[in-house]
Amino acid sequence: MTRSVRSVSRRTVLRSGLSAGAAALAPTIIPSSALGLDGTVPPSERVVVGGIGIGGRGTYDMGCFLQQPDVRFAAVADIKEARRMSVKKAVDQHHGDTRCDMYRDFRELLDRKDIDAVLIATGPNWHFTASVNAARAGKDMYTEKPCTKNIEQSLILRDTIRRTGRVFQAGTQRRNLPHFAFACELARTGRLGKMKRVYAHPGGMAAVTSGWLPAEPEPDREVIDWDTYLGPAAWRPFNSKLLNGFNFEKGGGLVGGGVLEWGTHCADLCQWAVGDCPPPVEYLPPENGELVTRYADGVELVFRGAGWLPLGSCPVRFEGEDGWVEAGDSGKLVLSSPELMAGRTVAEIGGYPATFHVRDFLDCVKTRGLPKCNVDAACNAHIACHAANVALFLQRPVKFDNVKNVFVGDAEANRLRSEAQREPWRT
Amino acid sequence: MHAIRIVVAGVFLAFAAFAGRPAAAQYDKNHKEQDLIAVLASNAPEADKAIACKHLAVHGSAAALPELAKLLGNERLSSWARIALEAIPDPACAAALRQAAGTQSGRLAVGMINSLATLRDRAAVELLTRRLADGDPQVASAAAVALGAIGDAASAAVLRGALGGGDATVRSAVAEGLVLCAEQALAAGNAADAVTLYDLVRQADLPPQRIREATRGAILARGAAGVPLLLEQLRSEDLGLFNIGLSTARELRAAEVDAAVIAELARTTAERAPLLITVLADRGNAAALPAIAQAAATGSRATRLAAVRGLGKLGDAAGLQALLAAAADSDADLAAAAKAAIGELSGGKIDAEIRTRLPQAQGAALVPLLELVGRRRIDALPEVVAAMSSSDTAVRAAALTALGEIADLDRLSVLLEQVAKPRDDTDRGVATKALRAAAVRMPDRDACADKLAAAIATAPAETKVVLLDVLGEVGGGRSLAAIAAAAGSGDAALQDAGTRLLGGWMTVDAGPVLLDLAKKLPEGKFQSRSFRGYLRIARQFAASDAAGAAMCRQALAIARDIDDKRFVLEALKTIPARESIELAVEAGGTPELREAARAAAAAVLAQAGDKIPGGWDLAAKLGLARARVEIAKATYGAGASQKDVTEVLRKRSGSGQLIVLADPSYNKSFGGDPAPGQRKQLTVKYSIDGKIGEATFNEDAAIQLPTP
Repeated sequence: MTRSVRSVSRRTVLRSGLSAGAAALAPTIIPSSALGLDGTVPPSERVVVGGIGIGGRGTYDMGCFLQQPDVRFAAVADIKEARRMSVKKAVDQHHGDTRCDMYRDFRELLDRKDIDAVLIATGPNWHFTASVNAARAGKDMYTEKPCTKNIEQSLILRDTIRRTGRVFQAGTQRRNLPHFAFACELARTGRLGKMKRVYAHPGGMAAVTSGWLPAEPEPDREVIDWDTYLGPAAWRPFNSKLLNGFNFEKGGGLVGGGVLEWGTHCADLCQWAVGDCPPPVEYLPPENGELVTRYADGVELVFRGAGWLPLGSCPVRFEGEDGWVEAGDSGKLVLSSPELMAGRTVAEIGGYPATFHVRDFLDCVKTRGLPKCNVDAACNAHIACHAANVALFLQRPVKFDNVKNVFVGDAEANRLRSEAQREPWRT
Repeated sequence: MHAIRIVVAGVFLAFAAFAGRPAAAQYDKNHKEQDLIAVLASNAPEADKAIACKHLAVHGSAAALPELAKLLGNERLSSWARIALEAIPDPACAAALRQAAGTQSGRLAVGMINSLATLRDRAAVELLTRRLADGDPQVASAAAVALGAIGDAASAAVLRGALGGGDATVRSAVAEGLVLCAEQALAAGNAADAVTLYDLVRQADLPPQRIREATRGAILARGAAGVPLLLEQLRSEDLGLFNIGLSTARELRAAEVDAAVIAELARTTAERAPLLITVLADRGNAAALPAIAQAAATGSRATRLAAVRGLGKLGDAAGLQALLAAAADSDADLAAAAKAAIGELSGGKIDAEIRTRLPQAQGAALVPLLELVGRRRIDALPEVVAAMSSSDTAVRAAALTALGEIADLDRLSVLLEQVAKPRDDTDRGVATKALRAAAVRMPDRDACADKLAAAIATAPAETKVVLLDVLGEVGGGRSLAAIAAAAGSGDAALQDAGTRLLGGWMTVDAGPVLLDLAKKLPEGKFQSRSFRGYLRIARQFAASDAAGAAMCRQALAIARDIDDKRFVLEALKTIPARESIELAVEAGGTPELREAARAAAAAVLAQAGDKIPGGWDLAAKLGLARARVEIAKATYGAGASQKDVTEVLRKRSGSGQLIVLADPSYNKSFGGDPAPGQRKQLTVKYSIDGKIGEATFNEDAAIQLPTP
């Protein structure tokens, strides 16, 4: 069998150590001046953070928060007792006290006046609903992706964040990694010439649905709060298989995960490369492993499955009339010409670290500026993925009006724009 | 009934196995609306009815309404029914929701009201007005927000009347509804109405967040006339209102905002000044540049930092003067921020200005300019070369680093000279780093490699290894040849460096070179390194698994002892090809290698046994037999935090007792850490050829199921 690993031309893979140029792309690291004489952060500079739904990925994110000297992690809310205990243990150990409070119901955490911001790292079922509730409660938030289940939720999330004046950072951390940022900048600033095509590699286009599994005995509510776990998802009986990785029809309606899971990362980068313009207006069903979409100006955003680029996970490729660039989680940049690097050096850094991203968020909590993955950017990238999923599900072209935010003359597609939430949760 | 059950089963199957679904068109054909309605009308299990609702959301019409409406009072299925009722584009659906919302209470009523809000059902205003007075605050609050979602004059009037109500929760929801009404008024061009509503809310007794939202809206709805209200927030003692002022100042596009915020800079506190500067920079109006430049020179430290970053963000050449001054500042944070900002500025004027300043600067003032030459790749070779002869170590280091960034192929010799004959060891280190930076950037890699190889021939002994390392960074065929020659030379230091570099080579063309070295080098460290490096290439870079196995065959042929042969068999484990099994079988003919060969074949079969034609038959010669392995249950975790990983293990198990996961890390293979920070175990209940067994493995251990 042929191997998927391909050797990479070293001529076009340009590498250097962390440079000042890269540092310029990275968010502000808290300056020593913000620290008190004893190296601690004065209360006025501190951001008090609460965690909502801290599992595997959440634990990683929380670690990034705890690395920041100006963060005080004050509380955790989780429907699982074991998780609450585990997070409290880690947080208390980090802060050297026993002050991390635990809540089963995240609304009690949101009611706390001393908490400035929340990390929302629940399963995808809760990302949107927890976010809009946090915003309405006056909290800033770092929300893991995918942030929404459908187009309507993406728009409501955007409007809610704007309305409430909160700081929102989607957990698509690659916008804060120097090599990805540089690749996007090449495209955005015209260094590749007129843009022709941007490629997102969501790692597959399989739909993921949760369904209704046979009932099992429901645990005590304090151990696992099943009703809250279901939250906005339509009711179904307790089944332990649904406790981990439960997607709750991520993508909305019958349109399962599709390109959404990794697409929110790589389509987000593509959106940045084309200047964060509104999402594509035309979506074609997949053909030969490519799902082609078109922006209003004719530039194509192409979703492709795995195995196209040997650059680790989440690779992207941006093609202009004068050149191209590729970047991925391996940390490498591949360019059509080394000259594209002229005047710049870029740190080679893997795609996973979220520390810069968290720092960017915390800086914006203080300045009230827009983080790299602010809600408008997240909304556009998510809509691109959701609309692509609709074309994937219907297996036919669909056209999207990105001003009215509806599919054009397509009642069938428009049925897939949103989905009712279970009571009492609302959009 | 029998026919209905078949349909339901089909629907469920399609839902559960969606990943491999057919196209929607085929889906339609198989699941007509009438079939789905029949499921709802039957005594089918709740699961089937739920899934039928989901499909009706896509394929249903008003014909499904009677059966869907019956489910609205069902606590388990109500939201499933609403999924369909919200999606079916027929006004009768809203009517059904209105009817139910008028009679239900508690959560169910909230759900129906929320659906009416989603549908923006104007006919529901009367009903919602009634429910706004409901004794259940959750119902009343839902009604308030739904009225806001509808957002017409009638809704706004109702909400205005309710803003003074007694229940705090409901009052907050009423305020939320009014803000929604105001947004719709503004979108419809009725700014005055919007202002009235926003002002009403921001002056009411409400939670702070509602006040902030109304304040933001009141500023934006007023446009330029909202600047005084904006300034009021920027002067507010209330941090929440100050913050909303900061974010709203970015949103309000009126040019008056810039002038107002600039003026505010003069009167605000030292703590708030950096935040106002950040606002001005984010707004991007060059009119703010003089004020920010002044702040960069004269403000507090925090203000200067914000101003320097702001100048970079504005990206205007007019800010260069202030940035260059900050770049030479003794405050390291400030200087670094200024240099980063200058690095981002675009335009030839910036480069020309920096070059003009070079001859006039000395010592500490020259260093940041040289750094900028490198960062911006300014063609200033004469000035840089002149700085290289400075008596100041920092200046020389900055010059050498800059040279690394601007040198082309013709100027590479200047750097080579500095590496070979540095002024001191510090310069040698900096020059080497600069040479590496220049070399890997050269468009013509082979020409660069030739220059480096030529320099190696005449370089002092201690420099040869340094240059070989640079060649390793450059890569390519010419570099490979030069490094191969060094590895095969009689000089131990060069052999050491050469084999080390080849051992980490990243392309398959190093394979023949390493094989040749493994054959001809005398026994010892360098020969062993070559041999193992060759096998690494086979594992990682061979064009196909068959090619990788062929490379292993060659390695086995030249292996000098039993350990080398075992090493080959270890490599084979990662190459899932029939040729790997063939080689293992051959090697297994040697008694000392039989166990290692058996393990190699087992690993190959665990990964791809069923995909390799005749693989198991071949492996039988090593005593391996296909077994019927069935995973009954597998859990992973610690204590009560257990994750069911049965399906993952079933997918990875084949016809052998060894199970190879996609990733050696259990957490990665099983989709997350079920018990962070705790010692975890994998417990597997299984059967092999009908015999039941159970085994437990510590986290990340190899999964070899014992024979029961």
